Amino acid sequence: MNPAGPGRVHTPPGEALPPREASPAGEDSQSDASPPPVAYQAAGSSSTGSGGGPVHGLELVERRTLLTGPLEILFPLTPGDRPIVAVSDAIVPGTTIAERVRDRRVVDLPAAAVREDAQPGDRWMAGSGINAGRAGRIGSGPAGRLRRGSGPASGELLHRHGTRWAIATGEHVEPIDCPLAGVVRDVRPGIGIRIRAQGRALLGVEALGDPTSGRLSLGSERGDQRQGQLRSTSLNVGLAGTILVIGSRVDAEALTRARAMGVRGVIVSGLGGKEHRDFLASESRQRASLHQLPPFAVLVLDGALRRPIARPVAAILEALAGRVVAISVDPPALVFDEPDVTIPPTPPDHVRVRSGDHAGEEGRWAGLAGVRRVAGGTFLEAGWVVVGGRAPIAVPIADLERFA
Amino acid sequence: MTSEPRAFLALDLGAATSSAALIGRVAHRWRLIGSLAVPSAGDVEDLVRELIRRAAAADRDLAGSIGLASAAGLTDVEDARATLPRLVARSAPPRTILVCAATGRALAPLAAAARQTGWRTTTATFDGADPIEMVGRLLDPAVDVLLLGAGDPPGADERRLIGDLASVAAGAVRRRPDLTLILAGAMTEQLERIEAVAGSRGGEILLAPPATAGEPSGSALRTLLDEIRGGADDPRRSAGRAVGALADVLDRRVELVEIGFNGGLRATASPGVGGAPAEATVSIVADACLVPAESGDELVDRVLAWSTTPVDRHRLRDRLRELRLWPWSGVSGDGARLRLAAARAALAILIDATPAQSAQPGPDLVIVSGGAFAVAPGPAVALAIADVLRRPAAIAIAQDHARLIGTLGIIPDAMERRQALLDLVDDILTPLGSVVIPGGIRAGASAGRLTIRTETGVSETDLVPGGLALVDLPPGATATAEFQFRDAVRLGTRGRRFAVDVSGGLGGLLVDLRDVPLRLPERMDRRRELLEAWQESLWLTRDR
Repeated sequence: MNPAGPGRVHTPPGEALPPREASPAGEDSQSDASPPPVAYQAAGSSSTGSGGGPVHGLELVERRTLLTGPLEILFPLTPGDRPIVAVSDAIVPGTTIAERVRDRRVVDLPAAAVREDAQPGDRWMAGSGINAGRAGRIGSGPAGRLRRGSGPASGELLHRHGTRWAIATGEHVEPIDCPLAGVVRDVRPGIGIRIRAQGRALLGVEALGDPTSGRLSLGSERGDQRQGQLRSTSLNVGLAGTILVIGSRVDAEALTRARAMGVRGVIVSGLGGKEHRDFLASESRQRASLHQLPPFAVLVLDGALRRPIARPVAAILEALAGRVVAISVDPPALVFDEPDVTIPPTPPDHVRVRSGDHAGEEGRWAGLAGVRRVAGGTFLEAGWVVVGGRAPIAVPIADLERFA
Repeated sequence: MTSEPRAFLALDLGAATSSAALIGRVAHRWRLIGSLAVPSAGDVEDLVRELIRRAAAADRDLAGSIGLASAAGLTDVEDARATLPRLVARSAPPRTILVCAATGRALAPLAAAARQTGWRTTTATFDGADPIEMVGRLLDPAVDVLLLGAGDPPGADERRLIGDLASVAAGAVRRRPDLTLILAGAMTEQLERIEAVAGSRGGEILLAPPATAGEPSGSALRTLLDEIRGGADDPRRSAGRAVGALADVLDRRVELVEIGFNGGLRATASPGVGGAPAEATVSIVADACLVPAESGDELVDRVLAWSTTPVDRHRLRDRLRELRLWPWSGVSGDGARLRLAAARAALAILIDATPAQSAQPGPDLVIVSGGAFAVAPGPAVALAIADVLRRPAAIAIAQDHARLIGTLGIIPDAMERRQALLDLVDDILTPLGSVVIPGGIRAGASAGRLTIRTETGVSETDLVPGGLALVDLPPGATATAEFQFRDAVRLGTRGRRFAVDVSGGLGGLLVDLRDVPLRLPERMDRRRELLEAWQESLWLTRDR
């Protein structure tokens, strides 16, 4: 049986080591340091480094797409909510696209009160005894408004059982606004509205809260916005209406205070599980309250642990400072429609250490290092990374990411 | 493989890991030349290029003999990449099923069938449910398939609800034309009512057998659900075929356990009798993935129970979330131990979810596979298996280090598949060692004595109850372990004297005299110390 462990190739990698002064502590090379013994013809397989030469092995590093778009954004609906846009409608930022029912309940109607050809999902309105058709503007206007009285004025047909229809209805509604420009692609009552957003998007890993928009603010007192941490005492009403770039981490108290100060959103590299849970609980309380604050969202760029924002991402955020941007929750992204904003290009061999011993450091890819022993006593495929002017360090490939 | 190629590529494209293996024809046998695995976010063609390049760099003559290099010894990587035949296994994307029944009693067997066939399973009962919440769950876009079932015949408590449940489901089905609907048991009688509302739609409406139909009970529904989940080239589905062939090739009872990013697999097979091929029992459990998408308190508790790292709950939750987001990241330091703790927790879920397979005769060989075990040292992996897969038995443990078992199971022809496994079995299985777990050991100063007879000599060891005894037995070596217990124990049968043939491995022979099932201290610090002490001796590559 073969003694090689998982994830290891049985053959010596034969990588040419970049020049270096000393092996980093805690790492023990398992690779052959001699140059490759065979001619290497890998047409189209090598990337070009910032110096113009081939950088072998960079393709094995996970690539993170910096900007994408146009993005299709979902605004979820629950049974009873009333969509007030139709497919192909053009949306401008701030348009109310649906009404969310706050006090949903099910009411049974006699089948005679509903048109014969009615289907689940159709809108029903009292008075004329007809259903108002599927999603669209048909239900808007005076006939669509709720009226005072004992019975429901309108609702969403859920299902028919025997001689009765069940509808979802409620008396108190709140608007669901779309914070960005786009075109409605799909409207499905009880499920959601899909809007194709205009512009470009910077993807995150998670977003909490409701879609929102505001002027992007890097803050003036935090210095390096990549590393920053938001403290509740540094917030003031002057930040109202902005989306704040926080840096590496934020605590739950600061999030709550930011919302109370009128901040529309927060962009952070990492959000811990405790803050995650506290924020969701706060959101839940907020939704249950009578007087709602404007929508607020937290966009998480990297994960749950503390690490600075990646430099290429920070460059985009810096370029967008002062502009109006939006946070989408599904998918999690920062969306902006600013065609004149120039995003500085990222060198193709620029890599970032996402996790592990050197987490947060960024540098230049310098080639494959073969299978290396890393701290803790495991063996992993690694690559050489030059950080600043220092000697190259071997970093597990799985801990690295590059940008495109 | 019919045009007599001298080499081919076996690719396993998983949710978290892309793995490539180069297999060549050497001395009239298929041999594993090399393998490479990287996070799946990259382009698999780059992975293949690198593998070919390394194989050619390592042995020019070998590369030439399998057609990778020209007579001049030059390897055109691009040409080899383009021309080598490929065997590709691609993990089916995770899909979610909502299992819905009128009562909890009717729901249980339906949910069990779904959970054992790889579905991410959510459940809902109609009895007493909030109607709007129920409709909301049926309309949830994350749900791919709705399984609506009832007993056959329905119970008295179900009868009055079945019609209403069908009405609610019909409304949802009408609004979600993409949703696949499965009607099981007495619910099939509601087909007409649902079809009358459903209208024209893309999703299918399927009629399924009752939840308890088939032999063993529930197998008919499980077969159907497995087919619907799809993925003809899914390595977890094909692994069952490969495990059956392995059982025949090795003439041993084989069990494969795999913990991956989106699910766990347990496949068991015994050698066929009278020339018949072996039949494998396969369970795929989505909940038994390394880290589920939602890291709730229950998951944190499960992992914390196996963790040897002093970490508080919040920190552990964060690290588990990171592990879910970037499954290959942060292995250095204590990352590998955390991953192994998560793997143990997932393995425990897998075992709990497959009681029928636990009731089968114990395996002779347990094969571990999947990314969860990929970075830990082999002996530590063997201990993890012994910690969770506890039954009084003597088993050999091996690792599918190149992730080839599932890929080889893709080979459609049974004879070809068996021949490939026959050739490759020694290359694809890394022997981790043998584990002997006697059951019913009584507390005391000594449980008896162990005599190991190898080709080179005889050694004796005192057996201490509650502990682990390690015997150095390298890969490829065999020995006879003679046990003389003070009291009668269970080891296959009940007795005091046993002689067991054991094979070596990276971890040698592990005699596990701990309780069956394993009992650990309630206090977390003591539990952690104990786990650490056991693991320390087997984490051979640890920093000292």
